Amino acid sequence: MRQRHVFGTVFTLEALVAGCVFVVVLAVLARALVRRRAGDAERSERPRLEACYVGALAAFAVFLVAWTAWQNHVEHPAAGPKPLRVDVTGFQWCWTFRYPQSPDHRRVSGTCKGEDMPTLVVPTGRTVQLRLTSRDVIHSLWIPGLRYKTDAFPHHVNTLTLTLDRAGRWRGRCAEFCGQRHWTMDFWIKAVPAREYDLWAQGGTAAA
Amino acid sequence: MTVVPPTETQRDDAGRPVPPGSWLGWVSTTDHKRIGLLTAGTSLVLMLFMGVLALLMRGQLAQPEETFLGAQVYDQLFTIHGSGMIYLVMTPFALGLGVYLVPLQIGAPGIALPRLTLLGYWLYTLGSLTVLAGFLTPTGAHADGWFSYPPMADSEHSPGAGTDLWIAGVLLAVTGSILQGWAVLWTILRRRTLGMTMLRLPVFCWAMIATCLMVIGAFPALLAALTLLAVGRADASVFASNVWNIGYQHIFWFYGHPVVYVMFFPYLAAVAEVLAVFSGRRFFGYRGTALSLLVFAALSMSVWGHHMFATGQAANDYYSLTSIALLVPAGVEYFGMLGTILGGRLRLRTPMLFALAFVPQFLIGGLTGIMVGTPVIDYHVTDSYFVVAHLHYVLFAGSAFGLFAAVYFWFPKVTGTLLDEGMGRLHFWLLVIGTNLTFLPMFALGYLGMPRRVVTYAAFDGFGLLNLLAGAGAAFLAAGMTVFVVNVLHTLRRRHLGRARPAGDDPWEAHTLEWATTSPPPRLNFPAGRPLPPVTSFAPLLDLRRREQREGSAV
Ligand code: HEM
Ligand SMILES: [Cu+2]
Repeated sequence: MRQRHVFGTVFTLEALVAGCVFVVVLAVLARALVRRRAGDAERSERPRLEACYVGALAAFAVFLVAWTAWQNHVEHPAAGPKPLRVDVTGFQWCWTFRYPQSPDHRRVSGTCKGEDMPTLVVPTGRTVQLRLTSRDVIHSLWIPGLRYKTDAFPHHVNTLTLTLDRAGRWRGRCAEFCGQRHWTMDFWIKAVPAREYDLWAQGGTAAA
Repeated sequence: MTVVPPTETQRDDAGRPVPPGSWLGWVSTTDHKRIGLLTAGTSLVLMLFMGVLALLMRGQLAQPEETFLGAQVYDQLFTIHGSGMIYLVMTPFALGLGVYLVPLQIGAPGIALPRLTLLGYWLYTLGSLTVLAGFLTPTGAHADGWFSYPPMADSEHSPGAGTDLWIAGVLLAVTGSILQGWAVLWTILRRRTLGMTMLRLPVFCWAMIATCLMVIGAFPALLAALTLLAVGRADASVFASNVWNIGYQHIFWFYGHPVVYVMFFPYLAAVAEVLAVFSGRRFFGYRGTALSLLVFAALSMSVWGHHMFATGQAANDYYSLTSIALLVPAGVEYFGMLGTILGGRLRLRTPMLFALAFVPQFLIGGLTGIMVGTPVIDYHVTDSYFVVAHLHYVLFAGSAFGLFAAVYFWFPKVTGTLLDEGMGRLHFWLLVIGTNLTFLPMFALGYLGMPRRVVTYAAFDGFGLLNLLAGAGAAFLAAGMTVFVVNVLHTLRRRHLGRARPAGDDPWEAHTLEWATTSPPPRLNFPAGRPLPPVTSFAPLLDLRRREQREGSAV
């Protein structure tokens, strides 16, 4: 859940800053509206003040760039030694999940029509590496609950590494417009305890 | 707003094959004012049409699992709405405003390259018709969004003729915009009147310089992208390699981000002029603003990758740096606007209302822009309704409010009559309510997980209430725009019947040279027998008024 966590931190900070700036600008506007009279109206430039202001803005921009870049790197650590690998293929209009490391190369797919949505089963606590590609057009694998998405391109593989630290089920969606049934391209991602996952990978069914 | 002025008797058309008052006289004109009006008028009509498409979409989305339109139609609607608003409405209107105003503001009798400007208008109109013709084909209009990535847009996945028409139409229209951009830039550089140095150019002209530089520098990239798309549609093997798929995105967004500022600067500058005039003082921080516009334009060409954070194939740190750096010039522009109104004696006429609302509303778009420019945040919200909310705050709550400020402000100059103030206020308030009711809930929708470009959503997703609110907001917008159309048509009709009250040369006590001539200005912009006021600064009429006051009190 690293993604969700990092997103939460950065989003909160930026939303707070944005809120403050917004309130300040509103206050200035309100003041101008209430006062409505010419003060030192002939002053049409205050270069010193402006220079200080630009300096402050630039300093803040530097901080923001550096800090968010650092957070971005925290979010994408090098994958540990043996991640669990899942090959994800998007197609018009559903998903296929393949587990090349499972004994009989388990494969899950569906039609994304009505209730027939594929479920991506992963173990909790283990690093999972999704290798994303597409069979036709560009899709994008989005798990809103995780606050993360990555595009799935044809003729190209993107990886998405995640670790789910608690059991649960989340909704996944396609976020890149991919044609008429783009809006139905949903799936489930389900995290189960490692032992349950192993049973499932060997051909069992994960408790729904 | 295709304005047909009353008979133009004072003109001497001896020896001209085409009487200037006839429709042929209009469409073959080399008068920049007419070309500007044609361009802006055409884009306003198209804006109404694209707005109707938006209303249909909001109707479809107002409640979950709605089947009113169906995906096939919905996909055409968001594509034509979005590409129409960008390629055929906000960009051409901005340039049309420049074509009309720039020569007047710099005291020139005409535009440089008038025939090229006219050709630009024709290409734009032809392109618009071509795009819209898609609706008449059996498979309907193009349906892959305004950026139309391959391979979705190739001939296998988007086989219809609508797509071909869309490519051809956008290509034509954008070529037209490029021509007009050259003409406006060349005019500012070469046709300034005596005394009009670069540092005495009105803020609007500086914005047009920055705008035209981006048009010239970045729009050709769109032509390249569209050509690539066309080639790929003819030869399917092109998009069988990732290089061209991701390459298209790079080329497209090299155009795609600067265009956002092309749809921003002219409106920002119109707002700046309005704020200064209705505060009764000089625009504050003129030099800082002019410089920041140029910095902005330069930076805008280095940020394109921030539209591609989720592709896994862009240098995210770099693009995030350049994107966030934009907050510096943007902050300078806000400094200027706020500084102007702070010490001013505000007069709250309709143009001023729109300009004042622009300030906080655009700010919402700008602040959320910094958020989506941060990769960690963007991974979640890109391609969701959060982005739809962001882009509409920038383009609608911001630029379109600037556009309306400009229309109310310059209408008396263009036609010689003021628009009705009461209806203007009604238009304003309906639009403020409608805009925020429509677009504010979309931030929450995106955060909660609603993807963009979906025809409907499931009841259990829980998006129903927020979408219903957005739908209600759209109804306010529709009402507001109806009031606007009635106001314009009503005023033009009264003018036609000769019943309108003349506005005079300078109804607002404005600052720049276009207000030193008659309303509407004569063919060569400034009446022969009347010398231009001396250009003593970027607000020559303000200087003149101040001087007269001083002399008056000295006597
Ligand atoms: C100047 C005015 C406007 C501009 C420049 C504009 C621009 C855009 C753009 C660029 C898109 C994206 C299209 C795409 O995904 O390819 C879009 C989508 C959309 N717009 Fe607008 N728009 C404007 C006004 C409005 C108004 C007034 C409404 C509501 C009444 C509206 C409702 C929508 C909707 C519902 C979508 C579709 C969102 C989706 O399905 O992803 N727009 N608009
Ligand atoms: Cu998809």
